[in-house]
Amino acid sequence: MARTAKSPRTELLRGTLDLLILQTLTIRPLHGYGIAQHIARLSEDALSVEQGSLYPALERLQARGWVTSKWEPSPTGRRARYYTITRSGEHQLGEEISALDAVVLAINRVLRRA
Amino acid sequence: MSFFDALKFRIRAITRPGEHAREMDEEMDFHLDRDAAQIAHDTAGAEDADDARWAARRRFGNRTLHAEEARAASGLGWLELLGQDLRFALRTFRRAPGFTVVAVLTLALGIGANTAIFSAVNALLLRPLPFPQPRRLMSVSLTVPRRGNFPPRDDVNWSWPKFETLRGMQHVFAQATLWYPEPFTIRHGDQTLRDQGEYTDDGYLTTLGVRPALGRNFTAEEGTRYNAGHVALISDALWQRLYDADRRVLGQTVTVNGLPFTIVGVLPPGFQGLSGQALLWLPAMTSSNPRAEAPGPYDHRFLAIARLADGVSPEQAAAVVATVGARIDAAYPDQNGQGWHWGATAKPLDQARVDPRVRSTLLVLFGAVGLVLLIACANVANLFLARASGRRKEIAVRIALGAGRRRLVEQLLTESVLLGVTGGVVGLGLAWAGTRGLASLQLSSVLQGNGGAVIGTLGSQAIRLDPWALLFTLALGIVTGVVFGLVPALQATRPSLTEDLKDDGGPGSRRFGGLGSRNVLVAAEIALAVVLLAGAGLVLRSLGRRMGVDLGFDAGHTLTFRVNRAPEWAPDSITRFYELAIQRLAELPGVTAAGMTDCPPLVQCAGTLINLMDRPAAAPGTEPLAGVHWITPGWTQVEHIPLLRGRLLDERDRVGTPMSVLVNATAARRWWPGQDPIGKVLGQSRTAGGGLDSAFVVGVVGDVRYQGVDSLPGADVYLSYYQVPFYYRMMLFVRTRGDPLALAGPARATMARWAPGFPVYDVRTMEDRVGQSLAYSRLGALLLGLFAAVALALAAIGTYGVIAYSVAQRTREIGIRVALGASGADVAGMVVRRGLVLGAVGGGIGLVVALAVTRVLGSLLYEVAPRDPLTLAAIVTVLAVVVLAASWIPARRAASVPAVEALKS
Repeated sequence: MARTAKSPRTELLRGTLDLLILQTLTIRPLHGYGIAQHIARLSEDALSVEQGSLYPALERLQARGWVTSKWEPSPTGRRARYYTITRSGEHQLGEEISALDAVVLAINRVLRRA
Repeated sequence: MSFFDALKFRIRAITRPGEHAREMDEEMDFHLDRDAAQIAHDTAGAEDADDARWAARRRFGNRTLHAEEARAASGLGWLELLGQDLRFALRTFRRAPGFTVVAVLTLALGIGANTAIFSAVNALLLRPLPFPQPRRLMSVSLTVPRRGNFPPRDDVNWSWPKFETLRGMQHVFAQATLWYPEPFTIRHGDQTLRDQGEYTDDGYLTTLGVRPALGRNFTAEEGTRYNAGHVALISDALWQRLYDADRRVLGQTVTVNGLPFTIVGVLPPGFQGLSGQALLWLPAMTSSNPRAEAPGPYDHRFLAIARLADGVSPEQAAAVVATVGARIDAAYPDQNGQGWHWGATAKPLDQARVDPRVRSTLLVLFGAVGLVLLIACANVANLFLARASGRRKEIAVRIALGAGRRRLVEQLLTESVLLGVTGGVVGLGLAWAGTRGLASLQLSSVLQGNGGAVIGTLGSQAIRLDPWALLFTLALGIVTGVVFGLVPALQATRPSLTEDLKDDGGPGSRRFGGLGSRNVLVAAEIALAVVLLAGAGLVLRSLGRRMGVDLGFDAGHTLTFRVNRAPEWAPDSITRFYELAIQRLAELPGVTAAGMTDCPPLVQCAGTLINLMDRPAAAPGTEPLAGVHWITPGWTQVEHIPLLRGRLLDERDRVGTPMSVLVNATAARRWWPGQDPIGKVLGQSRTAGGGLDSAFVVGVVGDVRYQGVDSLPGADVYLSYYQVPFYYRMMLFVRTRGDPLALAGPARATMARWAPGFPVYDVRTMEDRVGQSLAYSRLGALLLGLFAAVALALAAIGTYGVIAYSVAQRTREIGIRVALGASGADVAGMVVRRGLVLGAVGGGIGLVVALAVTRVLGSLLYEVAPRDPLTLAAIVTVLAVVVLAASWIPARRAASVPAVEALKS
């Protein structure tokens, strides 16, 4: 696991973690572990570093009103905190995706011409 | 709704921090358990449960840090963190009460003194004048060029006609007004007050933008036409004092200087006029004013204030005033016929409000008190460093457990800022006392006695602890906390885990590193203290010089006071009144002599140009200048002014006999060098009015420093009051056998019996007056001396602390030295040397800085060079003694270390 400590992917994660969480929650309400699993699976483990850093992000999203949470029983019977995306969270997601698309598009243009 | 979701979340995070944290914990547990189960499942049992749990933890990362970050991310979590830090800090302080008390008191001393001086700076230099749009107010004055012995001035008062000319010839001022301060005798019913008032016109209040709280202003007629109405405005203070704040005061009569005036208005609370102490205002043109009728163009007694018209800058106004000044000079040329051209100038009232010497002194004190605070900070930083090395292990453990460095620094800074602010709050007590002390100073009379200008609009009573001062204190507490806390905090959290974790915390196990910054701090403290000592030393020496000056008269055993004259008395009866009063006073038991003069020492009074009859009249402008003193014949004896030649004035010098005059030694030397002055004739120069002609010199008396210690005696002449009876404001002198103040009651009683209703006022001993004239330099010396003493004490404590600490750290080394044969003296010498090195480095730097900066002391110095070698030598000696003393105690402890014990530890 030492490879995670200084991986350039950490930097990427910081900027886009919020985006990934919101995207994940559009499918269905999930608990923190579920969100982490989902992101790790879809990004083929590239974004699975330091799963714990998910929690500060979740707090931040709640403080902004983009996500709410509720304690509910999980399939194993043990209770877990389930996160739901709010309407303004969805709106925010849309904005961030457009912004990201614009950046990606711009970068691609530069790369193709270079 | 998301706004409310967010709000709900945040409120819950703040109000129920415990629950919030538990939930976070549970959530993370859940995560880890599920992940561990997943890992176990993925590896199909290849890893046992423990290994899986460890793998999950590694994947999760620094749990404490994540939890902390999450808490910080929950919006207002910082508030919770702050609360936590504060609670932690309080617990830490409770565990180390000695440390806390010393630190808080040190800071309280520094911050309190700073707040007090800041209050004075704020009140006298910074705070806007208490009028609407104060920056639009200008002080307008006449200027005169150098005339013979008189230096040029740009603050000359106006005459009524000259100002009328100015008023008519400019459009830069929306309003302009004339005023001058005058003491009044105010009587209402059976109460009589002798207090400050002002003569002015109807434009005074409107220019300043002050409205009467009750009643009305003077009308234009009352303000400007001779004797148009006997009306008065009174201050809120006088209204409370004489009329019990009765609203029916309007229309009532108040007696001023024996004449009735109708009260037409009461001014708002706190307004005391531009003199800062007025209780009553009269139109300048009333008949109670003996000089009201036809104020001449050369009767310069009015001060002028003007309010700028809209859109006019102060510079534009000054330029216009200068132009008009030239026209006024053309209309009313200088009477000396010398071709001296007067002018006029205007400057913002804000700049003219405080005597420049008060300004510079205040700034020097502000700088000095800032240095004291720096030293206090250095001391507390040293305490913190010492304590931080004790807490090193605790902090290392916390870093190892995952505490972020930022959080730790934040928390340590919370501690130091809390200390700083507490110090500030405790210091407020000191600041309160300090401001009270400063406010009670009669700054204006202090400066007057010293031959300086009056503080115009602002008296020292304006000095108080206001919200700005409180804000300043709070800011100072916080800044102080950061200043002395940051270095120790950064140093304490420097990540060098292994070494600190290995540390067993016992003495001798620490490396010497932490001592470096402590040495630097102490050397800096010593340097700052030396700078302050140099300043204080120079000012104290100046005070000594001033006090050692022979003023030329004997101030001891003398009671002085003034008596208000009755306005309706004719000149000859007032002479008779004074003569009998002096006889009665001289007959009082315990009194050896009594006399009076119109121009006593330490009071500003006019001089005149002299014409010496034994030579051709001097060219105008080169006539000698002399101070003129109208005295009763015995006055020079009352004040023990020695008779050097000839005779004193006596009973022979009466109305109708040839005028006799005494000259002082300086006048005799200047006017008749090498000749006998007795029998010479002098008069008042024609250019000065020529009122006095041919007085015969009958004697020569010793020189008196009439203007106070800072100025050398000039030429003075003494004439008998009984030869030219006139209205003068006299000061009566009574020489006593014992305590002069014991005679105050009998003297008052005598005067009251002699002239009931004419108040005796300004009763003080002559020593008090002399002391007052030194009050300005004494105050500067006292405060600077105090600050320097505090600085030295703090530096001594700092030195002691760092030496004692180094001894404690080196106990084992010392033990080895002793075991190897070092004597106690060797060990003590080693320790003392260390102190002396600190003292030499700090003292050397301090001396260099002092040499560079003592020039700012300016007018606080008297006959002492800013680099006076004697003072600097004295400081070096004091410093050496203090540093020796501060290192001697730990040195003795070091010398008595038993080798065995030291090695065992």
